[in-house]
Amino acid sequence: MIENICGPEYCLRPADFTPPAVNGIEMGYFSDGFHKAINLLLHMDDATFSAITATLVSTSCALGVAMALGLPLGFLLGYTNFPGKKLIRLVSDTLLAFPTVLIGLIVYALITYRGPLGQWGLLFTLPGMVIGQTILALPIIISWTAQAVESLDIRCRQTLLTLGAHPSQLALLTLLEVRYEIGMVCVTAFGRVVTEVGVAMMLGGNIRYATRTMTTAISLETSKGEFAQGIALGLVLLFIAFAVNFLLAWLKHRGRT
Amino acid sequence: MNTLFEAHDLQKVYASRIALNLPFFRMERGEVVALTGYNGCGKSTLLRLLAFLEKPSSGSLRYFGDISDPRREITLLLQSPYLVKESVFRNVTLGLRLRGRRDGLARAYADAMQAVGFTQPDILAARRRDALSGGECQRVALAARLALKPAVLLLDEPTSNVDAASAHAIVTAVRRSLSAGTSVVCATHDRVLLDALNAREVNLAGDLHALS
Repeated sequence: MIENICGPEYCLRPADFTPPAVNGIEMGYFSDGFHKAINLLLHMDDATFSAITATLVSTSCALGVAMALGLPLGFLLGYTNFPGKKLIRLVSDTLLAFPTVLIGLIVYALITYRGPLGQWGLLFTLPGMVIGQTILALPIIISWTAQAVESLDIRCRQTLLTLGAHPSQLALLTLLEVRYEIGMVCVTAFGRVVTEVGVAMMLGGNIRYATRTMTTAISLETSKGEFAQGIALGLVLLFIAFAVNFLLAWLKHRGRT
Repeated sequence: MNTLFEAHDLQKVYASRIALNLPFFRMERGEVVALTGYNGCGKSTLLRLLAFLEKPSSGSLRYFGDISDPRREITLLLQSPYLVKESVFRNVTLGLRLRGRRDGLARAYADAMQAVGFTQPDILAARRRDALSGGECQRVALAARLALKPAVLLLDEPTSNVDAASAHAIVTAVRRSLSAGTSVVCATHDRVLLDALNAREVNLAGDLHALS
């Protein structure tokens, strides 16, 4: 038993409190959790793989929609000049720092049963999460695609024009010249969406075998003191982060040449 | 009419800075003109105007070739040429492909590359720009222009960043192009190049100096 140094009347610690041992037991839960995590992955645990599937499905759908909308808009924003362009860039750049919980809150208000889109029954469903994650990815894709196009060497445009490119050919070849940079934008957006918690938690509701994603599952399991599944999903997230960074490095190398 | 370009009171201003002031300029078809003068006197600016990449701030510039689409007849080699993120083959044949040509690209590639001194073009065909030296980049870019068989070839200091061997190859290629009927405007400080091309010299420094 440890002597209570602050006195019984001021200290919140119970008088018979015993802290964990310095070695052995206190690390046991971690190594134990790690072994369990490997087992969960090796035995393809249903709950774990359901979270992985939900994450990949919602992220892929959100990224697909964001790319379909964001790439043309970003390219136009970077390639053309028009009144109000700077204002649109400013808004898009500001939205890059949009907190995920705020996106979750706004979309929640829209798709909740009392909201304007409530009749669609999107709350606590994967499509509902996809809407939020699309809004999260869209500013990244628009702003950084525009940035990639604007950063293209001015000599590229001059060279293509002096080789006789028509306006449509010029636009297409400009797009081809920044293809690796645009690839990097998409990979970055994927990384941002796959690791977010706020939108998935608020709009998905963290429903097991339905809308529970890797990040929301890690959050929940950790709060319950169940580390095994959290660690297993963390390992998968780490693997995805590694793959994303590997792809980014490759695209960066290709983009330079 | 043998006149190719004619300009009157040509001026180009960038952000209130006068980059070019040319009271009069005329060039005949088949002629070689060398633009000379100190750095910043407007040589590159005039080349961009002649290439129809930019519009003059004031004055008139007339081209007496195919006025519906002059950029299909005129081509410009930049001082630091840009190669697209493709292979050397695709860079050299890019202009031809932009014109819709699909046949005979390999022949056109080989001819253009040999014209700029590459004796074995096939070795370079698959290389990308990061695998080329500065001199090779310059010659590949020139080959891309020569493959088009342009009516007017505009050169912006084509030998300033290359070694003697590359400079010699470039001069030889340009002279061969001249003999095929191409008109050439070349901005340069290189007296050797000027003499080798037997060019008429137009010094832009005096006009800008007089204005300032």
